[in-house]
Amino acid sequence: MKTEKIILKNETGLHARPASEIAKIASKYQCTINLIVNDKTINAKSILNIMAAGIKSSTEIEIQCDGTDEEAALAELLQAFNNNFGE
Amino acid sequence: MMIKGKGISKGIGFGNVVVIKNQEIKIQETTVENTEDELERFKKALQEITTETAEIVNNSSGTEKEIMTAYLMIMQDPSLITETEDLIKNSKYSAEYATEVGLNSVIQIFENMNDEYMAGRARDIVDIKNRLIAKLLKEERVDLSNLKPNTIIVAKELTTSDTAKLNFKNVSGIITEIGGTNSHTSIMARTHSLPAITKVENATEILKNNDYIAIDGESGEIYINPTEEEKNKLLEIQKTISEEKNELEKYKNMESKTKDGYKVELVSNIGTPKDVELVIENTSEGIGLLRSEFLYMDSESMPTEEEQFNAYKEVAEKMEGKPVIIRTLDVGGDKEIKYLNMEKEANPFLGYRAIRLCLDNVDFFKTQLRALLRASAFGNIAIMFPMISSIEELKKAKEIVEECKKELDEKNIAYKKDIKTGIMIEIPSAAIIADKLAKECDFFSIGTNDLIQYTVAVERGNEKISKLYTKYHPAVIKLVKSAIDGAHKAGIFCGMCGEAASDKLLIPLLIGLGLDEFSMNSNKILQSRKTISKLNKKECEELASQILEMASATEVEEKLKEFIEKNV
Repeated sequence: MKTEKIILKNETGLHARPASEIAKIASKYQCTINLIVNDKTINAKSILNIMAAGIKSSTEIEIQCDGTDEEAALAELLQAFNNNFGE
Repeated sequence: MMIKGKGISKGIGFGNVVVIKNQEIKIQETTVENTEDELERFKKALQEITTETAEIVNNSSGTEKEIMTAYLMIMQDPSLITETEDLIKNSKYSAEYATEVGLNSVIQIFENMNDEYMAGRARDIVDIKNRLIAKLLKEERVDLSNLKPNTIIVAKELTTSDTAKLNFKNVSGIITEIGGTNSHTSIMARTHSLPAITKVENATEILKNNDYIAIDGESGEIYINPTEEEKNKLLEIQKTISEEKNELEKYKNMESKTKDGYKVELVSNIGTPKDVELVIENTSEGIGLLRSEFLYMDSESMPTEEEQFNAYKEVAEKMEGKPVIIRTLDVGGDKEIKYLNMEKEANPFLGYRAIRLCLDNVDFFKTQLRALLRASAFGNIAIMFPMISSIEELKKAKEIVEECKKELDEKNIAYKKDIKTGIMIEIPSAAIIADKLAKECDFFSIGTNDLIQYTVAVERGNEKISKLYTKYHPAVIKLVKSAIDGAHKAGIFCGMCGEAASDKLLIPLLIGLGLDEFSMNSNKILQSRKTISKLNKKECEELASQILEMASATEVEEKLKEFIEKNV
């Protein structure tokens, strides 16, 4: 399993557009991908799960990828987070 | 056969009827024996709406595409339907009932979130739920964005969100059972030059889907299966209307000035970003009034800063540097918004509305102001406050704008540093102290509809006293003059965004009084430009000084008619 912690910079939090970005990326990979926020586990392949978590800006998020393509998945997700989802 | 209603928007339309019925679907608790078939039925319905939505995604672009993509992903999300599927499998609920209960639990999660944006997403899921149930019940849902060409819409009443979805290109007329001359539908129909008829009793029963009909939006006549003779009569009327329209084509892209070269600005009143198309088509010189209410009325919850910013930015960019005056939220009175929980008042027009409400709710006022400021980095946006009655209100509103600017400065967010702020002059007190108010702002726009009603103490909608409501009242004209003079004394410009600005009779008087900017429905721009081009500023000034001596509205109206007949 690969994990990495980041702080959400996106100013408006994980609203529909960034949530859909994450779910879109996550769904491309075989491995299980979870976001851990305040001890809650969120399925990163589910836009509803991500949005329902209501993650605000400056929150710490741990990305966990577990499976064959975990490395590539983590790398692409990190890049999306670091680019602020193009916002 | 011919039936009749009240014509509210001129024009002739031929086409096939599409009846829109907005009944609430009530789902009963029912159980089934064969849960596998039921599950299959549910999956098929979901598949169908997913395919439909995917098509919309493919055919859209920009922000709309992003929004629809997120919506599609919600639809495809396995966790959306886990509970629904469980309810079918384990509780043997019918697909309809399981959808109702299962999706409601997801909707609740979002509604209960302490975040206005996320709470707003609940409505996406409500929409998905309704579409699923409609599919399961095999109810044809009319897709307003995807109508066949030459459709005539028949409805009890069209809601704002209905018209927001409408693809006007394929609509050749609108018929409703309820609604008046100033209803949302009629304003929208006139904006798009679509024939429209209202007050047609039982229209949704009498007219059936696919009926071929012809309508006259002026006389209010509806012909079902029109005879050759009836068709020819209407075609004749249509020809006259299109000749008039062609004549006006000449005035496209011309400057708006009088014979003797006095220039004014002819700009548009608009209600949604969609209306910009008509602004450009009619070569309007800008937007004199963007009513921001559409963002609030179309929404189940308070629109976020982001949603507002995107809408304002879209308009500013499309207008390519031409002025765009955006009026801050103007609700209360006759315009109600559910989620603001506004109390019913005995005198709503004299009550808690517009700027009064905003100054008391600084948080949501700031949300709108920040969105406006941020959007001003993308075009020539100006901010306008409605319902100002005193200098204190204006100063307070400006203070809040300054606070928002500071907040943006701290975050290094761009906005137009010299953004103009102005006010509506629609309360007699403001018109009277216009010279004082003018020192505190950058422009005026006279809102005649409210100014008249407050001056003559006649509620616009009350038919018993509607005769007393007149834009030719000498007192109204004095107040207009006071506003214009006050503005000019302080060196700022004065516009007008009420219906009077496009009244052919009043235009010469307004030119004579020195009005700088005329803001109106886009479809009136060319006609008004034509009228102005036939006038002479000196003569208009003489007219104005004569009118100012008059004592009665009838006298004023007659004089204006005489002047127009002689000059235009």
